[in-house]
Amino acid sequence: MSRKHVRYVWVPIIIALIAVPAGFYYVDWSKSGEGAGLYSRQWLPDAVFAYWNPDDFYESTDLVAGEFEGEQCIACHEAVTPGIVKDWQASRHATPGNGKATVYCSDCHGNNHQALHLPAPDVCGACHATQHAQFEDEKRYGFPSHALAMERALDAKHFVDKPKAEVTACLQCHSVASKCDSCHSRHRFNAAEARRPEACITCHSGPPHPDDETYYASAHGQLYLAEGKEWDWSKPLRKGNYKGPTCAYCHMDDGKHQVADKSMWKFGIKEINPLTSGNEVKREQWVALCSDCHEADWSRQQLVGLDAERKQAWKKLYSAEAILKDLRSNDLLYPAANERPPYPTDWLDSLWPRARVGFFEGQASAFYNVSPIERDYFEMWYFDNLGAYKGAAHGDQEAVRRGHAAMERDLAAIEEEASRLQGLADAEQQAQRQRPDAAKLWKSGDYTDFNREQN
Amino acid sequence: MRRLVCVWLTGFASISMAEVPVPEGTFENSACLECHQQQSAELVAAWQQSVHAATETLASCVDCHGKSHGKAAARARRDGTCVDCHGGADSPVNHSYTTSKHGILVRLEQDEWDWNRPLEQANYRAPGCAYCHMHKGNHNVSAGVRIWNAMDGIDTAERERVQGAMRAVCQECHSPRYITRLFDNGERMLDIGRMKVHEAAAVIEQAAGEFTGAELVAAREYFVRMQSLHLKNVYLGIGHQSPDYQWWHGQPALDGDLLRIKGAVGELHRLPARGNSKDGE
Repeated sequence: MSRKHVRYVWVPIIIALIAVPAGFYYVDWSKSGEGAGLYSRQWLPDAVFAYWNPDDFYESTDLVAGEFEGEQCIACHEAVTPGIVKDWQASRHATPGNGKATVYCSDCHGNNHQALHLPAPDVCGACHATQHAQFEDEKRYGFPSHALAMERALDAKHFVDKPKAEVTACLQCHSVASKCDSCHSRHRFNAAEARRPEACITCHSGPPHPDDETYYASAHGQLYLAEGKEWDWSKPLRKGNYKGPTCAYCHMDDGKHQVADKSMWKFGIKEINPLTSGNEVKREQWVALCSDCHEADWSRQQLVGLDAERKQAWKKLYSAEAILKDLRSNDLLYPAANERPPYPTDWLDSLWPRARVGFFEGQASAFYNVSPIERDYFEMWYFDNLGAYKGAAHGDQEAVRRGHAAMERDLAAIEEEASRLQGLADAEQQAQRQRPDAAKLWKSGDYTDFNREQN
Repeated sequence: MRRLVCVWLTGFASISMAEVPVPEGTFENSACLECHQQQSAELVAAWQQSVHAATETLASCVDCHGKSHGKAAARARRDGTCVDCHGGADSPVNHSYTTSKHGILVRLEQDEWDWNRPLEQANYRAPGCAYCHMHKGNHNVSAGVRIWNAMDGIDTAERERVQGAMRAVCQECHSPRYITRLFDNGERMLDIGRMKVHEAAAVIEQAAGEFTGAELVAAREYFVRMQSLHLKNVYLGIGHQSPDYQWWHGQPALDGDLLRIKGAVGELHRLPARGNSKDGE
């Protein structure tokens, strides 16, 4: 290389030397606002967030001054909040046995009543190190996972954009990353409770993840509903201990606090290649688990069935996405992208408005302020598709049938609406009539104004 | 004998049933009321103030307690007493509760609990329907429940009455600050849901001046769903602490209704006969 060409080496090096630290600085800066996460400078927390995301938002009450030992906490709280004391008294923390020391209130919340804290998983992890390490290990597998749930909720664009009191429920479920009592209700923190499917259903229910309905309707779930009351839930989640599997038996087998490592299709919101070498390994992990009761070939066949169901689902979803993308290309979406409030938190969107179609364009955050046909697709994708997926994964064939029938209806309705939109545009063109501006209708109103001003 | 029965019933919340003989036989509602009106007038009066005493929603003594005295209180305290009249297990009012953390704890543990204990002082690990809505045996189930009104907010006096009654229950387990913050957050969340309903109402009202009733049928159907189903889901999700009802069955469902109302009205503006001159300006 001639001396003259050396600058071709230096220029990118210098750019990298500036850009990389600047990037780190920018991310740090954007995370240092009053909210939390990547967009922390764009929002203020609701007061109740302190309890769902204590790491970022909890500040101790200052009602009572002084330092207290465990017995003193109990003596006072027996009168003030008897419920939590009774709960603790029935827990293994109160009577650990085996010569272990009692775990008092102050061991987790601190002694100073003006500097109390709500215990995050690492506080529990000080004693329950194995479980905490397994839980942390989920992060290696990305999202969805319990350990990354809070982080991802805080960075979701619709969470950032919407008024904070509206999206409180997001954090209530996603707090599974911030505190162990999502599954082990305070202040009993019972392992047996968390082994039962009911521990999961407060969050794992509803249109995008009907895990409760599909499990209960499956043969596994029916067995649980009929006989589960008599099973000994103090036993570990291991072969031979339970007649039928529950959520935790399969997803946290052997009591491993790691729900992400075997996950292939994840939440079902994007298509994956189920046959990668990584997924072959996961597939064999499932087969090994199912072999507690089922023959390996039979289990493999079930997983092949799930892949086939997914393939069918994605065929339908892509057909619908193609229709929407055509509408977008032909400027047939009404309201057009520039006639609606800008896409959540996206400054580029106010300069270059664009409708979002499908997972990779972020439609998961674009379920409001969009035209009805886009919302129809959102519901097809997020509700009916995911209902079918959960049915297929949990062995509820009726939910699979229902979900696919619904997707076919959705697709037909989307096709019909698309041709109606085309018809309207054709008629306007023929009559040389301009399409009315939809901005006034879509960009104002009680909620829309409030949403623009308060988030 | 009748006096003895009444003495027992007056104090059934605090006196162990084993100690006082109970009358045998079955009773109709009129017989219950006749006796209890004399001996536990407060209890009857509370019931009479409640929605349970109204003719069209009558839940009489025997409906909840059964016709015989044995374990009459313990029986009525369990969630099963309430479910059938309140729309069955799958109705939003029940499902929002049974999938909440309170609801799942009751579901898992209720068969191990001694239901003879009064509904107070965290005698139960988690609250069932009656624990909150008939706390300390208060037979006015409406005490901690606001009158459902989709469009208007709640006035301060009504809010204080309702929240005061519920605060007394929550504070047996939860800190006062936590309760206050949840209550305030709930008010704000419901207000936001209501803003969506108001926004939709304004769109329909404006459109009603321009289009016929028949043209607005679809928009009005979405509006009814907003008021009677999705906003109510938000309200039930807040009251019963179900994140799923606050969110998936609530707020995004309202968003869907609102945009479909706007979509339906927006499309009417494009009809050849009218829209252009009005909206092109």
